[in-house]
This record gives sequence, C-alpha cells and structure tokens, in this order.
Amino acid sequence: MEFHDDYPEYEKMAHHDEAQGKKMRRTLWNVFWIMLIITVFELIIGFMAPGHGWSGTLWLKTLFITLTIAKAGFIVMAFMHLGHEVKFFKYTVLAPYTVFMLYCIFICLNEGTYSGKPANRTPIDQLLVKQQEDLRAGHGHQGGGHDAPAEHGAEHH
Amino acid sequence: MSHSVEIDPKEAWNGGVSPFRLSYGKIFMWFFLISDALTFGGLLCAYGFIRHKYSDVWPKAENVFTHFPFVEQHIPLAYVGLMTFILIMSSVTMVLAVEAGHRNDKRGVLVWMFWTIIGGLAFVGSQAWEWYHFIVGTDVGALRMVWDPEVGNYVQKTIYGANMTVNEYGAPQFANFFFFITGFHGTHVFSGVVINFVIFMNVIMGTYERRGHYEMVEKVGLYWHFVDLVWVFVFTFFYLL
Repeated sequence: MEFHDDYPEYEKMAHHDEAQGKKMRRTLWNVFWIMLIITVFELIIGFMAPGHGWSGTLWLKTLFITLTIAKAGFIVMAFMHLGHEVKFFKYTVLAPYTVFMLYCIFICLNEGTYSGKPANRTPIDQLLVKQQEDLRAGHGHQGGGHDAPAEHGAEHH
Repeated sequence: MSHSVEIDPKEAWNGGVSPFRLSYGKIFMWFFLISDALTFGGLLCAYGFIRHKYSDVWPKAENVFTHFPFVEQHIPLAYVGLMTFILIMSSVTMVLAVEAGHRNDKRGVLVWMFWTIIGGLAFVGSQAWEWYHFIVGTDVGALRMVWDPEVGNYVQKTIYGANMTVNEYGAPQFANFFFFITGFHGTHVFSGVVINFVIFMNVIMGTYERRGHYEMVEKVGLYWHFVDLVWVFVFTFFYLL
C-alpha cells in the first residue's frame, strides 16, 4: 500500500468541493430527465406503431436508432465522464470501437443481402419458408386467440 | 476534472507522466469495456443478420412481451419500459455515488451505492419474470412445424412458449438470440451487483477513507454504466424495432 513515486496522484484529480458538486449534480439530474423523456417518447411511439401501420417503416427504424445513439452518447459522455477526459483518451476509446463496429455492420449488410436472395437460400431455408407459407395458407391458427403471432406476421406481408 | 495538473501537450508523451491524466486502473477498466462492448456489438450484429434473413417468420415484440405484474390485461412494452426506467435510475444513483466519492463523503457514497444495488437486484428479478412468461407462453399456443426424428420430417404441433428448439411466437432463432443476449446482459448485471456489493462493504469498512480517495467506486461505476449502455441497445433492437 505504501507506494510513492514522483507521478501526480491521478486518483485524486477529480476531487472537488461542495459548490462544484452541487453544479455537477444538477447536470447529472438534467441528463437523467432527458434520457427518461427520450425513453417514454420511444415507448409511446412503439405503442402506437402497430395501430397506425408504422411497424417496420424506414423512418421509424431510423428514429429509434438515432434516439438510441443519442442516449448512448449521454451515458458515455456524461455518466461515464468520457466527455471530460483528455482528447487523446477519447479517441483511444472511441476510434477502434467505431472502426470495428462499422466494419461489422458493413459485412452484415453485404452478406445479408447476398444470403437473403431467394436463389442463394440453402435447401433447409427454402423448406422452412415454404412450410411457413403452407401453414398460413392452409390451416391458420388453432385457437384463434387474441395474440396469434402467425396471423400478425401475415398481415404485414 | 479542472483540478488536474496542467500538462503541456508537447511534453505529455515524453515520459514521467500519464498523457491521459488517468490512473492505470481506470484506463484498463475502459479497455476492458471496449472489448466487452465489441462482444455485445458482434452479438447484436448477428441478431440483425438473422432477423433480416427470416423477417417473414420473425415475431413482433409487442405480441410476445405483453404481461405486466398484477394486471390481467395485456399491455405491450409496459413492463420492459419499467425495467429500462429501473436501470437508468440505478445508473443515476451510481453516478451520484461517484460524485459523493469525489468529495470524500462516505455517507453519500453508502446511501447512493445502496440504492444502486437495490436497483440492480430489481432489474435482475424483472428479467427472470420476463423469461418465465416467455418460456411458459400463452394458454392457446400456436401451430408450428417441428422436426420429428421418428417421422424424419417436419410435423405440425401445437407449441406453448419458447425454448432453444421451438418458439410459439415465430422463428426459433428469436428465442435463441433472446435467451443468449438478454442472458449475457443479465449475467453482467448480476456480476455488477456482486462487485457493487463488495465495494459497498469496503466503503463501510473505511478502506477508501484510509486510502484517501474513492476511485474504486468510480471504476465499478464505469462497469455499471456500461451495463446500462448495453441495455439501451438491447431494448431498442429486441423490443422497439
């Protein structure tokens, strides 16, 4: 435990007094309220989506992903304090992650487009899709209850 | 923050000081979180790939997660909204504990960490409840094509609930990814609660008071915010989209 060198004490650099603490707490609660409002807004839109035929539309997906990235930004920059770190450290954390994730998303879209084409489907996939179609066309849902997922899926296609 | 020793950027990389102005423990917590975030990012990308491929048989979350405790009606998305609220709330109490640590306020750290642990336990409990209802399924069930090894082909069967091979609500892959990704996230929440508890006990025993700083609370706080961060993405990709 008794270890001393000439380095500055980085562990204590974030220390502050009561006045600064009060200011910081106000900022943190503001961030909380923003995030809560975004989440409630997302839930309301998500709740309304099926009734208005918004499900699966491009603008809805874009909206949800944008809001999610905004929330992620608030968490990382304010709660995890990355916004206040040294510039070099910000890039050290964010740059490798962004590069790898953009590549991952690119490869998913690229390969997903290829394997999604009917001609490129494997025999098992073709069998599964055909069976699902037969099931919908012929027999429908057994119970016919309020939450019949197979029928819900059919409405949108 | 602003109290730090000012370092000339030209001198920062000449040795003798940390150019990041951070202790090595905090830097490596960040590096660990990057690797963990890449794992979750890879899982969510795989989820998106499979979901796109089987979009015609993919279940809609608002038809699957409709239960709410003590309520008979089916309210889609309400329960997961509550879970999200609990986790964001516990993230706020964690950051307030970190802030109290920066003022060497032992009592403040204890109070806020206590609420963080309670929030974490509430979230893990909610997830268990959600899993239970997903596994049990509805009373009516649904007709699905299921592989029968005796017949050597797919046969029609009424399925109740979901497991790793069949899913009442649609494609079995939905259940696989749901169990794996929310399970992996739930494991992180649980381990976060355990680590929070260990740090909480250390605060009670005055370990950090003797040390002169509460940086351990900050490091475990980073982990806890990361768990919240992952949930924000899981919430969007599983429940909203």
